Amino acid sequence: MNHLNLNCTKGKLKNGLEYILYQDKSIPLVSVNIWYKVGSAYETKGKTGLAHLFEHMMFQGSENVAKEMHFRYVQEAGGTLNGSTSTDRTNYFEKLPANSLELALWLESDRMGYFLPALTQEKLDNQKDVVKNERLERYDNQPYGLAWELINTNLYPEGHPYSWSTIGFLKDIENYTFDDVQNFFKKYYSPNNACLVVAGDFENDNATNLIEKYFGLIEPFDADYKPEITYPKLDENILVEHKDNVQLDRLYLAWHSDLIFGKDDAALEVAADILSGSKNSRLYKKLVFDLQIAQDVSAFQYSGKFGGQFMIISTARPGINLDQIKKIILDEIKTICINDVTDKELEKSKNGIKSQFVFAMQNIDTVADYLNHYKFHLGEPNSFEFDLNRYNSVDKVSIKSAVNNYLTKPFVELRIISKG
Amino acid sequence: MILDRTQKPVNISELNFTLPKTETFTLSNGLKVYFINKTNLPMIRLNLMINAGSKFDPKNKNGLSYLTSLVLDEGAGGLDALELSDEFDMLGTNFGISTDNDSTNLSLQTLSDKFEKSLELFSKVLLQPSFNKADFEREQSKLINRILQSKDEPEYLADLVFDNVVLGDQNSYSYPVSGYEETVASITLEEIKNQYRKYFVPSNSNLVVVGNIKNDELFRLLTKHLNNWVNAENDFSFKNISTTQQKKIYLLHKEDSVQTEIRVGHHSPLRSQDDYFQRLILNTILGGQFTSRINLNLRERNGYTYGATSRFQYYKDNAFFEVSTSVGIENTSNALKEILFELENIHNGITDSELEFAKSSLTKKFPLNFETYRQIASGITGKILYNLPEDYFDEYISNVNSISKSEVEQAAKLFVDNNALSIVLVGDKNLLKDKISNFNIEVVEVDTKGKSL
Repeated sequence: MNHLNLNCTKGKLKNGLEYILYQDKSIPLVSVNIWYKVGSAYETKGKTGLAHLFEHMMFQGSENVAKEMHFRYVQEAGGTLNGSTSTDRTNYFEKLPANSLELALWLESDRMGYFLPALTQEKLDNQKDVVKNERLERYDNQPYGLAWELINTNLYPEGHPYSWSTIGFLKDIENYTFDDVQNFFKKYYSPNNACLVVAGDFENDNATNLIEKYFGLIEPFDADYKPEITYPKLDENILVEHKDNVQLDRLYLAWHSDLIFGKDDAALEVAADILSGSKNSRLYKKLVFDLQIAQDVSAFQYSGKFGGQFMIISTARPGINLDQIKKIILDEIKTICINDVTDKELEKSKNGIKSQFVFAMQNIDTVADYLNHYKFHLGEPNSFEFDLNRYNSVDKVSIKSAVNNYLTKPFVELRIISKG
Repeated sequence: MILDRTQKPVNISELNFTLPKTETFTLSNGLKVYFINKTNLPMIRLNLMINAGSKFDPKNKNGLSYLTSLVLDEGAGGLDALELSDEFDMLGTNFGISTDNDSTNLSLQTLSDKFEKSLELFSKVLLQPSFNKADFEREQSKLINRILQSKDEPEYLADLVFDNVVLGDQNSYSYPVSGYEETVASITLEEIKNQYRKYFVPSNSNLVVVGNIKNDELFRLLTKHLNNWVNAENDFSFKNISTTQQKKIYLLHKEDSVQTEIRVGHHSPLRSQDDYFQRLILNTILGGQFTSRINLNLRERNGYTYGATSRFQYYKDNAFFEVSTSVGIENTSNALKEILFELENIHNGITDSELEFAKSSLTKKFPLNFETYRQIASGITGKILYNLPEDYFDEYISNVNSISKSEVEQAAKLFVDNNALSIVLVGDKNLLKDKISNFNIEVVEVDTKGKSL
């Protein structure tokens, strides 16, 4: 499929900033997308959530861009913008009409090179309040909102980079200091620790010149701290029960699994789809369709650079005991370990995945983010075909072996139980 | 030459953007088709909008339209529910049904080479749904549980109460699309079948197709698969009486909340070409964007919230104006004070730079609205729903640019009425009561249906 073979130009500035250019002139838009190689996994005890707080601070202006003006300039030009923080990286992106490429590069380079002079205690205090509210809104005041934190503090040993959530603990958010933020920048926000993608409607020569013009003079520094990759194991199952203001009880099962792009990663994704990805998937059919003891069920492989976890989540119908649901889930996993999945199940999953690859190409900013994603994990941005092929290569044997390698091991079981 | 970083770069080139062209044709059963040929990817998107939204739900049968849409694809044309779902999945096609206050929407997103097979399945769902008892009962009880679950969600509860108090009991738009537990429980399979027979007809629907296919080929396939869809005699009606509301605070108790969900607003006149662009610019300045007044005040200056917005919500036959946010309990009264301040202050006028910013943002953003197949289809669907002029998109930019400062200021007077505000708060009443007593606004404690306790 030639729609998945993206012809990119790659380059590197003297200060170490890598860049990738991808032209698509089907519509006059341009997407600018930067990944910094730092996420919540790089934080330390007592300072959880700092990478995410920092993402907020990057929108508070820089030496030549006053507070609020980063947003205002992009929106005035008709663009959209945002950033996001994961365990492994932080990204910043804007999509603009094609004639505003220079504006985006000016803004991104100003906060990469000239952020610290504009940092103030007042801005920090304001964004600490905003992030505290974000945590309240998206976690503490949401039904089941604390599940992820409860699982990961139990699944990973203390100090493991995935043992806390990206938003951070409330107490830590309250305690960040001005020095923390300054030091965080000085540790990670160097041009040689970032990769810039420009995708859309532009000329390569012009883009290369503009990147050199705006980013070329930014001084690099040593930014090579990386968390260690460890392979934590559970010795036995861990049961966590949490009472919450919810109507229906919910069961979460979490296993350690393979890292992103690891040997079993794609097979586990396909296994998850076979378990719960469609109406006729195994667990959905049993729990929701036939027995009607669950309201929903979902399984997924969530993998990163420093750890992977396989999750199965199911909400019980009123009056149904979670034990009953759990038994059916574990029985189904046993079945997959013994018997092959069917040809039809495999084909169904693969056809769905293939379509999703094509559908994802509609958005130039999604494409730009994928280019950075592949560059970050595989070294080569143009890896759409390679990635699709990873799923196409999954077969009955690899599914059985992946499920055996990970899902027969001890797990964390979280039960969120209705208070009422 | 040394780079002067203090200067914001200026655009030198003009943008060359042409709107995608819409072709229209009608099948012999009367189904109107809007087609946009888009060829950058091997895919096709199809949206069928049926005028069968929850506003038509009879009294005490709230949720009927929605439940009908849930049962519709549980088996069709000789395939049972699981077989049907498998057939779509085998093709790698995304098929979905959604329902809102105005319409039920069937959508299909497929690779071009799987289009005909997908369309054949689509036609089965639309023309030959099985409506089996067992499937109906399963979907009904799943929906009742989903309604039960939504009581956990503070945003949902705030919207539920707000819709009700702003539009009033006598208005079909004030009831939830998903219905209430008891109204859904009272729906029978026969009522679902009647709903389908009455509303799911070509003369009550519009089809939008965006994708990589030739016009005549599309016509041939649609004729082959959808032409057997027949019409029926119908009379659709719904209640649409809106009553003016007194300024009040409606408090919905949610135990142990750590935040307060806030909604502030009132009923608003229908969407109209005469004042749409004035209202659009007004709202862009007031609360439609990140850098609008309300968000800058509540979030960037005061840190009360993660975000605050305002909007005009336009239904086909109704509308309201609404400010929404959620804040920590301790900031409830401060946040409310600032919202009320901004709603007052907008009556004192806007600045030239605010007007220029809003116009620039809206007009330059225009091409971004036509990037994906889905966006284009939604754009056309919206044009049909609101019965917009043929040249709506062609004239969009000049219409935005034509609005003057005094027209926006006039719009603030006409469309933001601080004497008619309904204020909905969802949170822990024991912690909230003290905080809202000093506003000199009557406080009513309500249940999830907006009824005073």
